[in-house]
Amino acid sequence: MKSDWDFKFLQKYDDKICELSKDNKLDWFDIQYEVCDYYSMIGHMSYHGMPTHYGHWSFGKRFERTHQMYNLGMEGLPYELIINSDPSIAYLMRENPAYMQILIMAHCVGHSDFFKNNAKFKHTRPGSVIQRMRSAKKRIQGYVENPNIGIEKVEKFMDAAHAIQFQTYRSSVVRQTNRQYKEKIIRSVLDVNPSEALDLDEIDIFQPEHNILKFLRENAKLRPWQQDILEIIESESQYFLPQMKTKIMNEGWASFWHYRMCHQLELESKFHIPILKTHNQVIRPHVGGLNPYHIGFELFRRIEERHGLEECFIARETLEDTSFISNYLTEKDCRDLGLFTFSKKKYKNKTSKFVIDKISDEEDWKLVKNTLVRNVGSNSIPVIFVDGIDVGNTLILQHEHDGRDLDLAYADEVVRHISYLWGGEVKFFTVVEGDTWEI
Amino acid sequence: MSTFKEHKSVADRSASDRSRHKKKIEEAIKDGIHHIVSDESIIGKDGKKKFKIPVRGIKEYRFVYSDNSQNPKAATAPGKNIQKGQQIGKASDESEAQGTGDKASNEKGEEFYEVEITLEELAYYLFNDLELPDLEKKTIKNITGNKYQRHGYRPKGIRPRLDKKKTAIQRIKRKAAQKAESLGAEDDESFPYRESDLTYRHIREVKKHSSNAVIFFIMDISGSMTQQKKFLARSFFFLLYQFINQRYKTLDVVFVSHDTQAYEVSEEQFFQRGSSGGTIVSSALKKVDEIICQRYHPDAWNIYTFQCSDGDNWPDDMDSMIESAQILQQKCQLYGYCEIDPDSERMKWISSMSKVSEEFEKLKSKNFKIAKIYTKNDIWTAFKKLLGSSEVLS
Repeated sequence: MKSDWDFKFLQKYDDKICELSKDNKLDWFDIQYEVCDYYSMIGHMSYHGMPTHYGHWSFGKRFERTHQMYNLGMEGLPYELIINSDPSIAYLMRENPAYMQILIMAHCVGHSDFFKNNAKFKHTRPGSVIQRMRSAKKRIQGYVENPNIGIEKVEKFMDAAHAIQFQTYRSSVVRQTNRQYKEKIIRSVLDVNPSEALDLDEIDIFQPEHNILKFLRENAKLRPWQQDILEIIESESQYFLPQMKTKIMNEGWASFWHYRMCHQLELESKFHIPILKTHNQVIRPHVGGLNPYHIGFELFRRIEERHGLEECFIARETLEDTSFISNYLTEKDCRDLGLFTFSKKKYKNKTSKFVIDKISDEEDWKLVKNTLVRNVGSNSIPVIFVDGIDVGNTLILQHEHDGRDLDLAYADEVVRHISYLWGGEVKFFTVVEGDTWEI
Repeated sequence: MSTFKEHKSVADRSASDRSRHKKKIEEAIKDGIHHIVSDESIIGKDGKKKFKIPVRGIKEYRFVYSDNSQNPKAATAPGKNIQKGQQIGKASDESEAQGTGDKASNEKGEEFYEVEITLEELAYYLFNDLELPDLEKKTIKNITGNKYQRHGYRPKGIRPRLDKKKTAIQRIKRKAAQKAESLGAEDDESFPYRESDLTYRHIREVKKHSSNAVIFFIMDISGSMTQQKKFLARSFFFLLYQFINQRYKTLDVVFVSHDTQAYEVSEEQFFQRGSSGGTIVSSALKKVDEIICQRYHPDAWNIYTFQCSDGDNWPDDMDSMIESAQILQQKCQLYGYCEIDPDSERMKWISSMSKVSEEFEKLKSKNFKIAKIYTKNDIWTAFKKLLGSSEVLS
């Protein structure tokens, strides 16, 4: 199939889009577009879009899954794939028609602007991410090829580390050192009871540690290669976490701008009409699900209507999905989106069905909204922290129960993984149906 | 200003990660396969039948919330008239369908691969990577015979093996060569065959390596063999059949069931027959010996006998049973006895009876093995014990 566009075409529309973006006060990294076929596209998708990334079978699995879905026609390929780097690398699929490329380029500027300006991304170091990924790949490859280590060991170790990859800090606040933490505790004790004689070095206070990978790296008996792998995975989650936290905002912002700019471009109707069609497809609501493009786009659109464009820019700079929804989603929005909550009900005959619990009516819309907030961004990851080391070198882990029970079968396996990394016994405490539960 | 370039494609970058993933799936198949061996009807299936094996996806475990009723999720349905308590289908996770280059969501996905494999592949997975040391050398003797095989061409030979085509080719070659030498003159001269054109097919004698095998399956169908025990026996026989079938060109299977008398029966009858009588094991062994004498001479056949029973035998029959078993042992490559005993609480009067396995202990040797099955999970172990290494033997 001959495509109806060439590089000159792309360049021409990119110039227009860049100009418009500047007028719109968007502030983005330069974008480096790479034109590739669909097979490479899936290839890159499997590695989170990274042009270079360490290998692990789970990426192979992701590839197979996407490839299979694509072949079954269940899943369209993503309209755009852009990574948080400086310059931003974006992929354009060769098979896409001309109008689609215009839409995608406008969309990509939105993403790149978001990467560059949202506070959550402050510490992602986009300028060096490619080098870091390349170095990580080389190091891991080295361990795989090392006759004393080898693929089996590396893989087993990585499987375990991946299981707790996102059990880390929710925000990028600078941590206290253990000593600072102790001092703070002691001070608070002395405030109440000044006669208490407390020696900083004698008392043993454990500061809860939420970054489990970091804790293990620093405290478990590990070989240098194992520490290195933990470090790689840990730093990768710091890099990707902001994207998980801002999925709705990020997609909403990019869709908000592609929609706006495709109007501003005053395209001929042979482009504009299919663009509108595609746009509607992208932001369509997923009935019975959540389409981040849909929710994000709707919210930004409404914020602009209610508070002006300036407010949109402030939101994109300061918020993440949870606060974005908390701050801006109104009762009317809930109703317009048809937001509802549902859960699995088990019946006596052992079948289970999903049943609608609450809908966005006057009485329940806040509940529904809260449920939404609890299920987006980092709220979808249970909070687990290291609570100390017990006698016999037993690692104590706590789950910060927030009313939601964990899937125990999964927790069981994860604890096994942690125990493998720790090289000793692990006790894990959570709450199940109101009672303490220990794994 | 953005830049544009052709993507320099890394040659299929995920290839090695995919092959690692595939390997993991294969391992999972091997794990999952034990479940199906106890379900399928044995024998008579051609290699084409496909088995569906559910393989638990290679999961990536994370801490995730359970999906019980106290963990509600939110979803949208704009413009739809929804009500509390309304049932909805399984929610799709379409939201994952599109995306920028970001991380996989933290949701646990239902990952279930259903792998379809043929019986042949099934056998491959079951047996090939299995560590059964020296299995074939020790227990599977190949009866060797001679046969003739084509082996190139020779200028001399007997008339019936003259290869006319090759001979003609030889003549044409010679003609062409001569023509080239004589620079194309004398074209219409006749050009007869010569002795040297004649080419014969050559054959040589080779040793025949694989041959025929026969399996005797003996099952106790007396009253004490319950459906459950028969089910275990059936699964066990299935494995044995598949294993031996892989190694021989032709395989005969003879089913012998017995209570106080033995009968040669068809496969269906073998597994369906129930009777309420007592048990005389020797009757079956004698029957097998009789069939061997009539149809399967030990010099021409690899004979395997596998017996499943719940271990009960008429006390008076024990001596006779041992005697018959000894005779069979000499004629068989392998005599495997498997005791099926799924009842943990046996009735007193039964447990006071002596067990066949106890009697058979005396005969234990390289080609006489004993295994026990209590539950479905023991089938595989028993199988390995019967066909596996000789560590249990001294």
